[in-house]
Amino acid sequence: MAISPAAQPKMVNDGKPPLVNGRLKLRVLTKSMLAIRVTLIALAVLTVIGFMTFNYQEVHLLKGIATTFVNFKTIFASPQFSHFTFPEAVHQLLITLSLGVLTTLIGALIALFLSMLAAENLSNKTVSNSVKGLMAVIRAVPTVLWVLIFAVSAGLGSVAAVIGMSFHSISYLTKAYSESFEELDQGILEALQGCGAGWWQIICQAVLPSSLTSIVSWTFIRFEINFGVSVAMGAAAGAGGIGYDMFMDSAFYYNLHEMGVITYMILAVAMLLEYLSLQMKKRIRA
Amino acid sequence: MTTLLQFKKVSKQYGSSTVALSDVNFSVNEGELVSIIGPSGAGKSTLLRCINRLIDATSGEIIFDGMDVLSIGRRNLKKLRTKIGMIFQNYNLVERLSVFENVLHGRLGYKTALVGALGFYHEEEKARALEILKSLGLEEQIYKRCDQLSGGQKQRVGIARALVQEPRVLLADEPIASLDPSSSKVIMDHLKNICETFGITVLVNLHQLDVALNYSDRIIGISSGRVVFDGMPSALTHDAIRQIYGSDPDGLNLNVERPKEVAQKR
Ligand SMILES: Nc1ncnc2c1ncn2[C@@H]1O[C@H](COP(=O)(O)OP(=O)(O)OP(=O)(O)O)[C@@H](O)[C@H]1O
Ligand SMILES: [Mg+2]
Repeated sequence: MAISPAAQPKMVNDGKPPLVNGRLKLRVLTKSMLAIRVTLIALAVLTVIGFMTFNYQEVHLLKGIATTFVNFKTIFASPQFSHFTFPEAVHQLLITLSLGVLTTLIGALIALFLSMLAAENLSNKTVSNSVKGLMAVIRAVPTVLWVLIFAVSAGLGSVAAVIGMSFHSISYLTKAYSESFEELDQGILEALQGCGAGWWQIICQAVLPSSLTSIVSWTFIRFEINFGVSVAMGAAAGAGGIGYDMFMDSAFYYNLHEMGVITYMILAVAMLLEYLSLQMKKRIRA
Repeated sequence: MTTLLQFKKVSKQYGSSTVALSDVNFSVNEGELVSIIGPSGAGKSTLLRCINRLIDATSGEIIFDGMDVLSIGRRNLKKLRTKIGMIFQNYNLVERLSVFENVLHGRLGYKTALVGALGFYHEEEKARALEILKSLGLEEQIYKRCDQLSGGQKQRVGIARALVQEPRVLLADEPIASLDPSSSKVIMDHLKNICETFGITVLVNLHQLDVALNYSDRIIGISSGRVVFDGMPSALTHDAIRQIYGSDPDGLNLNVERPKEVAQKR
């Protein structure tokens, strides 16, 4: 196929910017851009193939979607209590929140120490690499799986949930904290070393004050994650709380109205957390 | 005059190939203001950092105040560092802390790990820090956070932090490289004043030849890690400048005589 000379991008190095169809190109197609495009196209093709080859059995796709929307309408348009009362629901919600708080706190405390060992500028290369490697392995396994792994020895329930969720929080926060420590200006560490300050003094007087904002915001992000996971753990690992009620409503009582109530309550809490974290960050930054 | 600092055949090698200092010999007397000049990459910063062991020299001997710097142990290293104040081109302050807190960091070397980490300081230390801040014209800024200060103010905080250490020597690594001419003059005047009134020895890395000529008692010129000039400012001839910077002084827009006259008018 003959390509007209005007359609062919000219070489960049002949001194003039490349022209396509008489128009100036904004950027040159690089290898990485090409890779991104190929990936996107491949994903689109796979999605279409996937939908065409699904084994739908008795389910009709469009009818299924329609039913889902009807269920959504029941859940969200007519929430109603039946098996428990509002105070009971709040109590369960608090249990779920506590699970989130507890695992985040445990995770944050341990991660704070580990991250000092993991940060290359505060530790030595061997220690840093081994801590980072270990954390990467722990992080690669999803939280839910850790809970199930610990359930082998602790039994399904809140203990396994606390240990498993803390475990994953530690590795997540260690990475986040240590990266914010590594962003610290090397010159500040040098200056304090030059004053004769020791390691702990440098940590408390320079490293922590400088990275306080990012420590708080990472911890809060993890708390939001942990709150979501706590809801799921109530159902999947029998850790109790609002998630368990939701599971019972959906799988046993098939009470969509009550599910609606629970969903709204969880949503309210999530929004409250978001608002709190924004306020907290503002206050710290000021 | 007693010798405070002595370099004997000091060399520093980074990795296996980069030689930053080779066979450096010089000595500095108590109360002198010595400028170290040389082109970028000559090894000026490396030289200063060898004195307080922020960088370990590869070989040779550094004697500071009778101590063999390269062979002292951990405890003595801390003691050595309290006697050496240092200021930097980028100030290197903890931006989120107040001026006062940053200045008191200079006392950390005198404290046990726990007391220092918690930031407990004696009343006398605080009073002394305040006095120093006042003498540097910073009394109105003491409770400001350091990220709210101008460059010149930050550098004065840096000087204050070094001074509360009660050091014998002040190392300044390009202290005026990021400052405008008038702030530069303020900083250099403070350094000169510190040297003259407290008798603190000052070693300052400079890129501004005119400033070096105006303020120093002595100039050390280094090039590619070697000392190629060591003498009074008046002895810095065109030949010496050519040897330090590797090109003709006329081509560098420098006039050795002229800046001196300017300085006298200031
Ligand atoms: N941490 C390091 N690792 C490897 N090489 C280094 C390191 N620090 C400095 N060097 C090299 O050592 C030589 C001297 O560097 P140094 O920073 O002492 O020069 P300088 O005279 O202070 O330069 P400038 O005027 O640009 O600050 C340079 O060649 C530099 O590349
Ligand atoms: Mg330098």
